Amino acid sequence: MASTITARIFDPAKGALEEVGDMMILTGKTLVSAVRPPYSYGDEFVHQFLFALRLCWFPLLISTVAFGFGAPGLQAANFLVLFGALDRLGGFFVLASIREFAPFVTAIVLAGVAGTAITADLGARKIREELDALQVLGVDPVKSLVVPRFLALMIVTGLFDVYALLFGIFGGIVATLVNGAPLGPFWATFFSNASVTDLWGSFLKCTLFGAIIAVVCCYKGMTAKGGAEGVGRAVNQAVVIAFLGVFAFNYVFTQTLLATNPEMLVIK
Amino acid sequence: MSAWLSQPKEILAAVGEQGKFSARILGQVLSLRVLRFLGETLRQAGVLITSSTVVIWGLVFVIGLQCGLEGAYFTRSIGSPAYAGVFAAWCDLRELVPYAFGYMMAAKVGTGIVAELGSMRISDEIDALEVMGFDSVLFLCATRLLASWLVLPFMYVASIGAGFFASYLTVVEQVGDVSSGGYLLIFWMFQNPPDLLYSLIKAMAMATIIVLVGCYYGYNAGGGPVGVGTATAKSMVVNIIMVHVIGMLGTQLFWGANPRAPIGG
Repeated sequence: MASTITARIFDPAKGALEEVGDMMILTGKTLVSAVRPPYSYGDEFVHQFLFALRLCWFPLLISTVAFGFGAPGLQAANFLVLFGALDRLGGFFVLASIREFAPFVTAIVLAGVAGTAITADLGARKIREELDALQVLGVDPVKSLVVPRFLALMIVTGLFDVYALLFGIFGGIVATLVNGAPLGPFWATFFSNASVTDLWGSFLKCTLFGAIIAVVCCYKGMTAKGGAEGVGRAVNQAVVIAFLGVFAFNYVFTQTLLATNPEMLVIK
Repeated sequence: MSAWLSQPKEILAAVGEQGKFSARILGQVLSLRVLRFLGETLRQAGVLITSSTVVIWGLVFVIGLQCGLEGAYFTRSIGSPAYAGVFAAWCDLRELVPYAFGYMMAAKVGTGIVAELGSMRISDEIDALEVMGFDSVLFLCATRLLASWLVLPFMYVASIGAGFFASYLTVVEQVGDVSSGGYLLIFWMFQNPPDLLYSLIKAMAMATIIVLVGCYYGYNAGGGPVGVGTATAKSMVVNIIMVHVIGMLGTQLFWGANPRAPIGG
C-alpha cells in the first residue's frame, strides 16, 4: 500500500524531471549542430521563418491591441484620470508594454500558434515514421528539422516583440483618445521614461522565450507516439509546458533585470 | 499576398459554422436535455478536476508573482512603496488572473478536448455512437460544457486565491518595502465583491468559448493523425484571439466607465 502511494507521487515527478533533462540534451545537441558545418539548413530556415510570420501576424495584431487597450490602457487611465494626470499614461506604458506584456503576449501567441503547428507537423512525421526513414538515409533529424525551427522561432519571436510593442502602444493611444486627451503628453512621458536597457531587456527576453518554445515544441513533436491520439496529446502537452516554462523564465528574468538595473526604475 | 491572408480568411469563414455548432450545444445544455447523461457529465467534471486544476493554479501563481514584482518596483519608483497593494489588487483581480486562467484553459483543457474528440472522430467512434442511436453532440460536447460550468467557478475563485498569495509573497516577503499590514490594508481597500463577480464573469465567458471552440474543432477533425494535430493547432489560434478580445470587452464593459476606486467623490 505504502509503496503504491509513493509510486503514485514520485513516478510523475520522476517522469517530468527526465523530460526536462531530455529537453536540455536536445537544446545542447541543437546548439552544437547549429554551429558545426555543414550549414545545410538554410532553405528550411527561410521556409520556417516565413511560415511562422504568416501564421502569427494576425492573431498577434488582435491580441496586442486588445491587451494594450484593456489591461494597461483602460485600467491605468481610469486610475490616472482620478488624479488628473492622464499624461503619465505614456510613462506607465514603458513599464507595462516594453517590460511586461509585449514579450509575454508575443510568447503566448507564438507558442499557441507557431509552436503548436511545429509540434503537429513533427508529430505527424514521427507517427508516419518519416523521422526514422530520415535516419536510415543518413540525414540527422536534429540538423535538418530541429535546428532551422529553433533558429527561425528564436528570431521571429525576437522581431515580433517590436511588432507587439508598436501595436500594444497603439492600444494605449486608443485608450488616451477614448478619454478625450491629447496625444502630445503621452509621447512626452513615454519617451522621457523609455530607456535603451528596457528595450534590450525586452528584446533579449523575447528571443529566449522563442528558444524555450522551439525546444519544447520540437521535443514533444519528435517524441509523439500512439497514432492520431498521440499527436493531439503531444500538441496539448507542448503548449502547457511551453506556457509554464515561459512564465517561470519571465519571472526570473524580470526579477534579475529590475534588481540589477536600479537606474531604469527612476521616473523622469 | 494571398498566402498572408489565408489564415484570417479561414478563421472568418469558420465563424458561421462555429456559431451554429455552439448554439446547438448551448441549446442542449440550457434545455437541460444534457441531464440524460448526468453520469458522463460528472465523470467529465472529475477528469477536469484531477487533470487540469493544479496546472491552472500553477500558472496563475506565477502570474501573481509577476504582478507583485512589477507592482513593488513601480510603486517604489514613484516613492510610495506602501501602495504596492493598489497595483497588485487591480493587476491580479481585474486583468491578469482572468488572462492567465484563459491561457491555461485554452492550452490544457481546450486542446485536450480537441485531441480527445479528434481521435474519436478519426477512429470512427463518433459514427459508432450515432449508429447506436446516441446523440453524439449531446453525449460528447454538451456534457463537457456542463461539466466545465459545474467545476470552473470554484476552480477560478481558488486560482484568484493562488494569485493573491503569490503577490503577497513577492511584495511583502521578497521585496519587502512595505509591512504585511500596510500592504493588506491597501490591497483589500482597492477591491470589492462586485469586482470579484465581474472578474468571474470574464473568466467564465472565456472558459465557455474555449470549451465550445475545442468541441467544434475536435468534432469536425478529419484527415488522419495529421488532421488531429492540425485541428489542435488551429483551435489554439481561435482561442488566443478570443481570450484577448473577451478580456478587452470585459474591461471596457465593467470598468470602462467607472474605475470603482475608493478615491475622490
